[in-house]
Amino acid sequence: MRMVRYADQNNRSSGSGFTAVSPWTGLENEIDRLFNTALTSFGTNRIGHQFPVGVYEDANNTYVRAELPGVNREGINVEMVDGSLNISATRKQKIGDTEESYSFSRSINLPEGIHTDRVAATYENGILAITLPKREEAKPKKISVAVN
Amino acid sequence: MSLFNSLIQSRVRHADRMDDERLGQAVKPYHEIVDSKDDYELTVYLPGVSKGGLQITAENNELRIVGQPAWKRPDNWVTLYNESAEVPFELALEHDHSVDIEKIHAELRDGVLRVSLPKSEAIRPRKIAVS
Repeated sequence: MRMVRYADQNNRSSGSGFTAVSPWTGLENEIDRLFNTALTSFGTNRIGHQFPVGVYEDANNTYVRAELPGVNREGINVEMVDGSLNISATRKQKIGDTEESYSFSRSINLPEGIHTDRVAATYENGILAITLPKREEAKPKKISVAVN
Repeated sequence: MSLFNSLIQSRVRHADRMDDERLGQAVKPYHEIVDSKDDYELTVYLPGVSKGGLQITAENNELRIVGQPAWKRPDNWVTLYNESAEVPFELALEHDHSVDIEKIHAELRDGVLRVSLPKSEAIRPRKIAVS
């Protein structure tokens, strides 16, 4: 009688009979691949509609920088509503003969004390840079205290 | 048939961080490639990169795009919140000589780089007349 081993020799460590590589390796890889695919498309979706932003401040202004490469300059809309900054934009993209249009929008909560009527924005190299001047009362103050 | 080895997976956008010995930390930019009749149309999103900070090299069978953001945060600015990587972009695509390097055309506008990679004569479809 002949012994027939069905297990793949490569999947076994020599001698001990213990499997060095998990017998589920193939399945694990497949699951990883599925997760990667699912998460990548999820990420694409997020990035497609919600662009990255940075919020900074110095003594006089709050600054918002939004990454919006390739959007239509005329279609950029910046609004201040109740202490939050709303940014919306559209990108037209030609794929072959068809033109697709993507819309982006985002609302950012900002610190209080901004001169809403003096907000300025520029668009350069695909970055929307917004300068929001602080009101006098929101600026840091230096108080001199006389020490006797 | 692998025309651009990295083309296949790059139809799905990627944003992977990586470490490059020359650049330090770099981020792989979002990009798309469309395979059209005469060329590959590559679109790379490089927000914040100006023409001066962009470097495209085609060497052997690799096309490498490096973009340095033009903006640096001023010292007196305090970051309240940030989602931008603030590191250079780097994208390396491999191809198997199916691209005519001499005729590559690139255009950077508003942070979007469009590169036309003409297919080399050898791989273009052609009609063969039968006599």
